[in-house]
Amino acid sequence: MAAAATDQRTLAGPPVRGDRRASARKRLVPYGLLAPGGAWLVAFFLFPLVIMVYTSLTSGGVLSGGFRFTWAWGNYVDALTDNRRYFARSLAYSGIVTAAALLLAYPLAYWIAFRGGRWKSSLLLLVLLPFFVSFIIRTIQWKFILGDVGIVLGPLKDLGLLPEHFHVLATPFAVIAGITYNFIPFTTFPLYVALERIDRSLVEAAMDLYASRAQAFWKVVFPLSLPGVFAAVILTFVPATGDYINADILGNPETTMIGNVIQRKFLLTLDYPEAAALSIVLMVGMVVLASIYARILGTEDEAVAAGVA
Amino acid sequence: MSGRDDRLDEARLQAVWRNRLTRRGFLRGAGLGAAGLSMSAVLAACGGAGGGGTPTEPGAGQDPSEIFSQPDPEQHVVFANWPLYIDKAKDKEGNVYNPSLRKFTKETGITVDYQEIIQSNEEFFAKIQPQLAAGDPTGYDIIVITNGRYMTALINNGWLIPLDPERRPNFDANAASWAKDPVFDPGNRYTMAWQSGITGLAVNHDLVTGEITKLDDMLDESKVPPDSVGAIPGDAPDLVMINLGIDPATSGPEEWREAAAWLQRLRESPTFRKFYDQGYTDDMTAGNLSVTMAWSGDVLYYAQWAGYSNLEFVFPEAGALLWIDNMAIPQGAAHPVSAYTLMDYVYKPEIATMITEGVLYMSPVPATRELILQDAEQAEDQGYKGYANKLRATANSPFLYPDDEFLSRTSFGFSEWTDEAAEEWDAIFNPILYG
Repeated sequence: MAAAATDQRTLAGPPVRGDRRASARKRLVPYGLLAPGGAWLVAFFLFPLVIMVYTSLTSGGVLSGGFRFTWAWGNYVDALTDNRRYFARSLAYSGIVTAAALLLAYPLAYWIAFRGGRWKSSLLLLVLLPFFVSFIIRTIQWKFILGDVGIVLGPLKDLGLLPEHFHVLATPFAVIAGITYNFIPFTTFPLYVALERIDRSLVEAAMDLYASRAQAFWKVVFPLSLPGVFAAVILTFVPATGDYINADILGNPETTMIGNVIQRKFLLTLDYPEAAALSIVLMVGMVVLASIYARILGTEDEAVAAGVA
Repeated sequence: MSGRDDRLDEARLQAVWRNRLTRRGFLRGAGLGAAGLSMSAVLAACGGAGGGGTPTEPGAGQDPSEIFSQPDPEQHVVFANWPLYIDKAKDKEGNVYNPSLRKFTKETGITVDYQEIIQSNEEFFAKIQPQLAAGDPTGYDIIVITNGRYMTALINNGWLIPLDPERRPNFDANAASWAKDPVFDPGNRYTMAWQSGITGLAVNHDLVTGEITKLDDMLDESKVPPDSVGAIPGDAPDLVMINLGIDPATSGPEEWREAAAWLQRLRESPTFRKFYDQGYTDDMTAGNLSVTMAWSGDVLYYAQWAGYSNLEFVFPEAGALLWIDNMAIPQGAAHPVSAYTLMDYVYKPEIATMITEGVLYMSPVPATRELILQDAEQAEDQGYKGYANKLRATANSPFLYPDDEFLSRTSFGFSEWTDEAAEEWDAIFNPILYG
């Protein structure tokens, strides 16, 4: 490669004007291609983010005319001290959700990738199908299905199989199950993509070398699917931590998550500064967690890849 | 009168139209849908930050008789209201329209742009506050807002156009005693009631044992099953104070803490299920709630019109919370005179009746009762017996037409709102209601 580049340079001779312009253009091409996405990010991510930071440092009251920028770092202190248990609860719920979603989605993705055959696309469409209904409507449907005297619990209670006051709604279980249900497609897709890409001949080779089916899976397939697991965990854990819809619709006061606190501060008490401060704390926290996780699993991933090679 | 015959045909269509949520029940989706708005609200709040700060004197330098003496350059009203809070009917082509507003346009020549865009007081206030603080027009000529901290803020900041008391003959002639001169707006200087309602208790007789008569029954395990009691966080503090024998109007942090302690007991009670930010009506009709704080119109709708005979609206022994959704004209309105004309027009008994039959909340015009009974008779003559009975039940409900004794046991809740009071209130109640 290096030799070829040198050759080219020597063959090119003294640069002419047109060439230089061409190479300048060539250098600019990547930036040109990045521009639409970049502009999008600046307008819809960076700018709102700056506004959010700005808002988090304001003080005042909405009743008397608005908030003024005062470097009010106290908002962050308040946000952190008052809401520790909601942060903790959100992380705990989200951790359980991620584990449950992985356990459910991995076999699903594996089966579609390895056994789906010509039905693969249809099966993936089925996984995606719930997305054709609004997130909120889907969650409210669970309220209908799991109502205390609804279509599931009602008959079971009538048959005496469940105690009279047994209920699923308004419990932590309902919230965690609801989030898991809502995020399973986010877990399934990256897993599927990773599993689908695995060269089947590697599995055959393992078998030829007298690996059992289980050994072939644990020593070949699973390590190769780890990038998918990594992506699935990020895509499930991060949004699940900030979710508030499920806790709102399926939960009770003891299931309040950090997302509910932020939503209420933004929309019910109009306490924008603290809501903004909480949002930023949550975001920075997630970035830190995700990068720690990436470092750990990232190196493991490389080590595993090296081991396989 | 031929006009009233027309109306009955429309009324029949309304009966079909009634397959819908009630105005307060609609709130359910609101908070969720509004999530997307939060960023724009934040942006707006920042933009307005410099403009506000020092509250101006209420209605500073504005002489109502002057504002309303010149006709608007354009005969038009932009009316912002809550969803499902007005009469609706379908014309022959199947288009939905508002009979009362159509009549208004026919009689006055003023066109109405009726927008059902208010889904919560907080959210709507947040939306218009930056423009008001900056002295820009909001784009609305009439807004409807509930008495409480946001309406107080609108008045105290001088963000509402003062009304000329000389120019509302229908209001003067027909308004109910509770709609005139309310404590939160003495002399109706800035507001006139649109509709009103009561926060009390909804009881599901399939699930409770014995009589439910007071808030304390929500904690009584011998009367209500576990995990079956609901509460409305926005109304709970005032309603609890009333039931502790405290007058919310004169309450302070001391009393608030007392109410908070009761709410903490409720929250920790085995009978308690949850606070409903969004509509409790789903859980109420699904049989998940035995007793819940509820709005009169919702319960009346389900109990009287939608066939839930197991539900009953109970007025707690110690009293209930009365709230009024008020019409007001925001500063910067382009058509204040047309707006005021409409605000007074809906106080004609005939027009108010059309609205009441459509929404089932307390009408500020008591004369509607007689007209609803007349409509019932007419419906019966035409063979719509079921509809006639429902109209009669509506007209005879004490929660739509409360007498003075009844009203004396209601309160408008705490109303001395300032940023400091709001902060203290939130610090006391929010950890329990929203924590």
